[in-house]
Amino acid sequence: MNAPHQPSYLSATVGIRSWLLTTDHKRIALLYFAGITFFFFIGGIAATLIRLELITPGPTLGSPDFYNRLFTMHGIIMVWFFLIPSIPTTMGNFILPMMIGARDLAFPRLNLASWYLYMAGGLITLAALVLGGLDTGWTFYEPYSTFYATGYLILGVFGIFVSGFSSILTGLNFIVTVHKLRAPGMTWYRLPVFVWSTYATSLILVLATPVLAMTLLMLLAERVLHVGIFSPQLGGDPILFQHMFWFYSHPAVYIMILPSMGVISEVVPVFARKPLFGYTFVVWCSIAIAAIGFLVWGHHMFVAGQALYASLAFSFLSYLVAVPSAIKVFNWVATLHEGWIRFDAPMLYAFGFIGLFTIGGLTGLFLAALAVDVHVTDTYFVVAHFHYIMVGGAVMGFFAGLHYWWPKMTGRLYPDYWARFAAILAFFGFNLTFFPQFILGYLGMPRRYQSYPPEFQVWHVLSSAGASILAAGYALPLFYFAWSILRGPRAPANPWGATGLEWSTRSPPPPENFVETPTVVRAPYQYVQGEPRMQAGDV
Amino acid sequence: MSERAIGFQYATIAQQREASTLGMWAFLATEVLFFGALIAAYLNYRIWFGEEFIAAASLTKVALGTANTAVLLTSSACMAMAVTTFDAGSKRAPIMWLAATAALGLLFVAIKATEWWLEYQEQLVPALNFDLARHGGVAEIFFIFYFCATGLHALHLLIGIGIVTWLAVGIGRGRIEPAGSTTRLVGLYWHFVDIVWIFLFPLIYLAGRTT
Amino acid sequence: MSAATIWRCWAALMLLLAATTASAFVPLGSFNIVVSLAIAIIKALIVLLVFMELRASKGLVRAFAAAGFFWLLIMIVLTGADYWHRTDARAPIDRFES
Repeated sequence: MNAPHQPSYLSATVGIRSWLLTTDHKRIALLYFAGITFFFFIGGIAATLIRLELITPGPTLGSPDFYNRLFTMHGIIMVWFFLIPSIPTTMGNFILPMMIGARDLAFPRLNLASWYLYMAGGLITLAALVLGGLDTGWTFYEPYSTFYATGYLILGVFGIFVSGFSSILTGLNFIVTVHKLRAPGMTWYRLPVFVWSTYATSLILVLATPVLAMTLLMLLAERVLHVGIFSPQLGGDPILFQHMFWFYSHPAVYIMILPSMGVISEVVPVFARKPLFGYTFVVWCSIAIAAIGFLVWGHHMFVAGQALYASLAFSFLSYLVAVPSAIKVFNWVATLHEGWIRFDAPMLYAFGFIGLFTIGGLTGLFLAALAVDVHVTDTYFVVAHFHYIMVGGAVMGFFAGLHYWWPKMTGRLYPDYWARFAAILAFFGFNLTFFPQFILGYLGMPRRYQSYPPEFQVWHVLSSAGASILAAGYALPLFYFAWSILRGPRAPANPWGATGLEWSTRSPPPPENFVETPTVVRAPYQYVQGEPRMQAGDV
Repeated sequence: MSERAIGFQYATIAQQREASTLGMWAFLATEVLFFGALIAAYLNYRIWFGEEFIAAASLTKVALGTANTAVLLTSSACMAMAVTTFDAGSKRAPIMWLAATAALGLLFVAIKATEWWLEYQEQLVPALNFDLARHGGVAEIFFIFYFCATGLHALHLLIGIGIVTWLAVGIGRGRIEPAGSTTRLVGLYWHFVDIVWIFLFPLIYLAGRTT
Repeated sequence: MSAATIWRCWAALMLLLAATTASAFVPLGSFNIVVSLAIAIIKALIVLLVFMELRASKGLVRAFAAAGFFWLLIMIVLTGADYWHRTDARAPIDRFES
């Protein structure tokens, strides 16, 4: 229990320098929490303005150019400065070393450097957006972005370039940590699935992000030097840019979803009090998603003008990548079957994830079919598809993990009632926002359009109404989490009765995580139905 | 990268060394994909444009390029000698081999700069003075690749020269542990920069020489 | 990695360099690039296995070393699939273009 004279990582050292120069992975995780929360709300403001704009068929808030800048800002901020870092840099940094029984990551100073690179990149891009933004969409397609677009492209892209190094170094750190710093007895098949998922994510971070770096450099070279690498004026090929861009950006979406899947694999066994069904399948499916995810990027380019044979190959491979995701969904559901289910907030978010991710994933298969994609590409069908996965999936997973590990990280409990209410509110708000968008896309409403025919208005109004509910669902945690930090009851080491090394140490943990390096003797998720609480010391 | 202490998260210095080695190889993997992306783009354009693209390569200076390749390969041998002699316990020998490595690196950069200057004279520099009417758009794209690739490579080489110099000074002042991995890690980086050039050389200099 | 091994490898690299440059001037058509890349791969393997000591490294290190190249191969092959077949066949929808 909490011995008052032993400081936690929060109180061990004081002063702003001890935070800004820390190498403690737990403090760095909190630094990242601050960053991503900040960027989440900036991206959310952009989303709010977009949904306000789309309430009427004609211009509502401003010009079409203003609208272009809004959705570009929303996409860039949410993709690079919220979703990609979200779970790995916060919960990955905080919990992964503890889960494997380590005292810190392999390269703690590199970890701090990663945070500074992330913040620098984020602030540079934010400056570009505040100064007037860009209107190219988050995909910067050429030659529009380099030869015709107005706005602060160079600054905005440079910020993303800088933050890319943060991604690479974080992924590198995690990979080496998992290989080298596991506690005695922690074999690969005793690792929690969250570690496997973070490892798979890190593979993508390390192997895909450098390609983005080169692509953005070439983009900047075109823009700054006015040379045509991808521009038809000189005989260049705009599709080559798309190949290079999507070679990174498709695996990037797996960076965004794999950690959330890892969280769900942690949460579901605890709150169903059953071992995870099919552990071996789940872990290898994580690796498979990461690997096959590198082979499918051309499905973003079916109508761009790439060769038909290439499109056929990418379509087939895209069907293949759905298989490991589906296997994971089956395993989560099988874990729930005949479980003793408790509907705490983390579990509510996990339920939301399973249902919404499934819908998003299935609609991805529609898009992977060439004949269907010709009709719904670049419509709201695609927008709804990826929001179901990114928001209904990844963000719900983020909130599930946040609510699950909050007591461990802060040493405080939060009010159950409000947390569950927020989860349900977010679920309803989400569906009201994005389900009408499937219908809009099917009916032909293109994406990235400010103005639309009046017959689409009813769906847009429903969607915007849903967005306001969703916003409330996201704003609510700010209040009860703040209350939790200021006045919440102190959390015990293991409030959920969960297995896992992170629960065997105090809440909040001491700076070195464990008093003694633990030895692991059993597989994870050894829950037995009918035993609601693990004994202290069981790992 | 001083190894006087073991990081508190490591149980043994061997574990720390293995972790650093893995970390360096992971970093090199990212560099393979970084330069590789550029090479992939080059290869696609080579397929797409065919003869015109290949012909543009004949405008590069194959004698200087070959000489430079020899310089860089020799510098790798010197770097390897530095690691071997340092392992054997010497201090003076590795410093001299590291100095040779750095000197050859600087020679490479000097030859490269000469090439660039010559290309400027011949109006082959895109964005500055590329003679579009004479060589055509495809050749300009080739030379954009040429300057991007050789420019980025030279940047990595300059960083490498700096690190090699730092290492030599560190060994001289006794700050580098003989049983440690620092020298090897620097060597890995240097050899990698050499490998990048091994692949860039045929793609840039050896195409279009048979017409 | 003894000094003798290093200088033997250096000699091999110099020979390969001479060979690759010379082969560039021999008209082999589209086979020229195959030869020059093959020689480049051999040179790179010498540097990787001997100078970078992959010969004597554990399997995990070798896996890390191979990973980057393998992933690059994925990128080259699949983008190549587009560029090789660009004008082979048009999608039926193209028929509706005027």
